[in-house]
Amino acid sequence: HHIRMISEGSCDTEDWSYDLGNPQLRIFRPTFNLTLVRPGKEQPPDTVQFRIPLEMTKFDVRNYLEKIYSVPVAAVRTRIQYCTNKKRNHLNQRVKRPDYKVAYVQLAQQQTFQFPDIFPEKDQKHEEGSVEEMQEKFMEDERQRQKSDPRRGGVTEWFGL
Amino acid sequence: MAVSRLTAAVCRQFQRVVTVSSHTQPQCATQAFSRFHLCQRRQTYDSWWFRSSMNNRALHTSCVRKGLEEFFDLPENWGEQTVKSGAPWTAKQLRVKSNEDLHKLWYVLLKEKNMLLTVEQEAKRQRLPMPSPERLKKVERSMKRLDTIVTEREDALRLLQTGQERGRPGEWRRNVFGKTFWYRFKEHPIPWYLNSRYKRRRFFEPSHVAPYTRLSLEKYLRSKMRKDKRQKRNQKRLAAMFPKKTALA
Repeated sequence: HHIRMISEGSCDTEDWSYDLGNPQLRIFRPTFNLTLVRPGKEQPPDTVQFRIPLEMTKFDVRNYLEKIYSVPVAAVRTRIQYCTNKKRNHLNQRVKRPDYKVAYVQLAQQQTFQFPDIFPEKDQKHEEGSVEEMQEKFMEDERQRQKSDPRRGGVTEWFGL
Repeated sequence: MAVSRLTAAVCRQFQRVVTVSSHTQPQCATQAFSRFHLCQRRQTYDSWWFRSSMNNRALHTSCVRKGLEEFFDLPENWGEQTVKSGAPWTAKQLRVKSNEDLHKLWYVLLKEKNMLLTVEQEAKRQRLPMPSPERLKKVERSMKRLDTIVTEREDALRLLQTGQERGRPGEWRRNVFGKTFWYRFKEHPIPWYLNSRYKRRRFFEPSHVAPYTRLSLEKYLRSKMRKDKRQKRNQKRLAAMFPKKTALA
């Protein structure tokens, strides 16, 4: 029973059940999508957090990562996150936020993973004559105008003439 | 390690490089396949493809994360507002490819989709706009088209070899509400007459439901007629507003 491969077909309406003695279930084009997410709570250095489809199991996650991404997996734990059905739209109908499954994957061979910063601050060089460049220059001028006279040496404008 | 080269070289318009995923086991799925394909510049970009096995993405300092790096974009694209990408695969282009190529392309598209979903989620988390969200739609469309091509080929093969129209057997049945629907067979370890749960699911309409099937049929026909009449009326109105004589003049 441990060897059950990804048991969901490429057309998800198939029910792929296994009975003892049947050949190993395989699918050739998985439709599962894994999303790597930044953990909300602090996780151990070897733990990676994924959002996976509800139909996926721990064995499926292990096989998926090992076969497709060649990531050595030591352990997988999953939980289902229930999302609210309480919010209402402008017609006062309840709107369900879809549920999702979270998988905590621990890497084998003492590997570590730290979620990187995907949106670092990059100082943008706008091209000459573009709208953004003019806007930036305008904002710069505004800021310059708001600053007080540097010749006063930091003294407030309340005093003086 | 033997780098497996695929015969169908595809060009790409943007800077993304698809690297071989692991050094330990040769995985041919990710080698040099682009999800995006540009018809015109095929010849000029072939040479570029051949020098594309750059593995030096040595940004991360922790040990071996080659596999998980594929969940993220190229490091030079981090923080950009837009990322260039080409056109999605069309069905016409995909039909030319062999089954092996399609299989490998499926996995390339799958990994790309995972990467885009990761970036999308992180952008939502950081409350920043995702760079080039149209890439997701492109990948989804490419995958859908690939799926249609593969099912086409499977259907054709099955029809030729066995004469069966569908892969999964089924039949038309009538449910308790009088509606006729296509019931798809499931595999069971026991016959149906020993299956108590299956016997509770009735596939016939009781006699007191029979009048309602006729009524619902009448309702459906009425709505269809009304729709046709409405369309004819609309066409007539438009023809009166824009007569043919003025179109030709």
